[in-house]
Amino acid sequence: MKILAIALLNLRRLFRDRSNIFFVIVVPFLMIFMMGLLFGGGQQHRLGVVGADSGPLAQRLSAALGTRDDIEVVPMGSEEDLRTAVERGQAQAGVMIPGSYDADLRAGRQVQVRYLVRPDDWQALDVGSWVRSTVPKEAALLYAAGFAAAEDVTSFDDGLRRAEAARLPGVEVKVSTIGRTVFPEGFSQFNLAAPPLLLLYTFLTSMTAAIGLVETRLSGVSARMYSTPTTARAIVLGETAGRLVIALFQGLLIMLGSALLFQVEWGDPLGAAALLTVFSAIGAGAAMLLASFFRTVGPVVSLSAILGLGLAAVGGTMVPLESFSGVMWTVAHFTPHAWGYEGFVTLVRHGGGIGDILPQLGVLTAFALVLLPLGVWAQRRAITR
Amino acid sequence: MPLLEVTGLRKSYGEHIAVDDVSFAIGVAETYGLLGPNGAGKTTSISMIVGILDRDAGEVVIAGQPHDVTSVKTKELIGYVPQEIALYRDLSARENLRFFARLYGLGGRALKTRIEEILEVVGLSDRADERVEGFSGGMARRLNIGVGLMNRPKLLVLDEPTAGVDPQSRNAILESVERLADEGVAVLYTTHYMEEAERLCDRVGIIDQGRLRVEGTRRELVGLVGETDRVTLQADGDLARAVRDLAELSQLKQVSSGEGQIEVLVSDARALLPLILETVAGSGVQVRTVQVHEPDLESVFLHLTGKALRD
Repeated sequence: MKILAIALLNLRRLFRDRSNIFFVIVVPFLMIFMMGLLFGGGQQHRLGVVGADSGPLAQRLSAALGTRDDIEVVPMGSEEDLRTAVERGQAQAGVMIPGSYDADLRAGRQVQVRYLVRPDDWQALDVGSWVRSTVPKEAALLYAAGFAAAEDVTSFDDGLRRAEAARLPGVEVKVSTIGRTVFPEGFSQFNLAAPPLLLLYTFLTSMTAAIGLVETRLSGVSARMYSTPTTARAIVLGETAGRLVIALFQGLLIMLGSALLFQVEWGDPLGAAALLTVFSAIGAGAAMLLASFFRTVGPVVSLSAILGLGLAAVGGTMVPLESFSGVMWTVAHFTPHAWGYEGFVTLVRHGGGIGDILPQLGVLTAFALVLLPLGVWAQRRAITR
Repeated sequence: MPLLEVTGLRKSYGEHIAVDDVSFAIGVAETYGLLGPNGAGKTTSISMIVGILDRDAGEVVIAGQPHDVTSVKTKELIGYVPQEIALYRDLSARENLRFFARLYGLGGRALKTRIEEILEVVGLSDRADERVEGFSGGMARRLNIGVGLMNRPKLLVLDEPTAGVDPQSRNAILESVERLADEGVAVLYTTHYMEEAERLCDRVGIIDQGRLRVEGTRRELVGLVGETDRVTLQADGDLARAVRDLAELSQLKQVSSGEGQIEVLVSDARALLPLILETVAGSGVQVRTVQVHEPDLESVFLHLTGKALRD
């Protein structure tokens, strides 16, 4: 009963501070929304094009590039303008149609269309695929028109018109996926954004809750609690349960809220609950440990932010773990975040069940079994010394 | 049987001995003051007595039962008011009281009733639902004491409860302690304010550098160092004649005069003042003012340690 009273008081105090309400409730959903937008889905890509006005055939190509709903073709005045726009991210990518495009094609000469892209813009990969498929399709029609003109069957323009109207069976590539795709077809961008942010915020909120623990000790409240007929064990377990309740609350809020607001599907409820519970226990243990090390609030404030955000970054919850190099991938797996991330990937993206995430749950449980008892022991020592 | 018996209490931190062989006892309804300057070992002693700090040696017995940091049963008898405002500042007065009441095992109707009683006692009924962070220093101090009273303690331990409060709040706190003592609560009160110890305490222990130098009633302590009362009379007339007449009174220890005043050293000024004034009037001297300087704990402390209490 006393353990519960201490635990619930922690949760109550969390919401006494209005800034906490903002950071715990509002910010995670804003971040999920923004990261969701960043990961794609509904976002308009800008494709800069230079030379579209050099002739009717150049105009045809430009128009063909703009037939996809999520790609906006933006005419650019010069090659320099296009380069600047791509470099500054004002355009996802750029296409440079040479000024001699029409003349060269009509004369049967080889034409080269250049594609500009930033090396680190992974959204431009999708635009690149579109450009690489659209240009050859247009080239095939032009080749047919050129061939008809060269054989004196008809004029180039008439040949182009007829080739366009022709419905001939062609060769298509049928793709069969084996193994797991990184992002399954139809996968919502919010499904991609929410799980790593759940891990980030659950851990970060646990870490910042360590500050309250130090304040309680420094203000003499912990000692006063100990002067009542309450054992040190009950006080420490109450404080631990308090941290656990806070972490679970944060995690559950993100799970339920994102499901409601962004239709995020968390997969097998049992698996998701198990991951959240074990990860919250890790956060609680880490918070208890951190709070017991220091006798002033300052270092705990700094370290809680450094650990909360640093481990999240290293663990792949800010930049997708899939994009990590070999060494960084290995380093990431020294954090609980990477294991939590992989667990949620299995549940959310691949429809796995609790049985499929047993390795991740096992490692996370090991983290919890080390951190939680260590945190409890250190906290008890801090209160009774 | 004393309610609290402390024997040979000792605590050290490395080479530094914070409390060394402290022993005393407090009876039911008795108020005992631990008087000493900052750093004398008062808070360390109290921390061991209430059971929040392990001792290196010694024994604490409360109501006949051995007591230490693990003693849940005896902790039920203690109300502890720490020196710092040990409250959740982001919670209201009522929420703080409710939380600590639960730790004392109160619940249901008894809890609600007790909270209202305490709010009434500390004069915060009309501010019960306001956060502590909005309270003045005096209000927070009163609530700090209120928490210590939640469990109707047999032994109330107050560690410098008036530190940093305004005179009005200080008086209210002292009156509360006096009232509790009248109700039969044993009180252990630490302070470095001599006036508080003199006003509240039946007996006083003077502690310095971790050692209890001396203990007893105020009169016993003053008597130990042989101090006497000093009566100063500002007067007009034949002072030499008045001095001669006073010197004939055997109850007076010493009589002297100078610069329009007569000084008399006497063992009990309050009892002999009428006789002194009558004798002086009989000498034809007109008295303008009378000042009685009784020996106090400050002078005892000065005598024992060679330094002032507030040093």
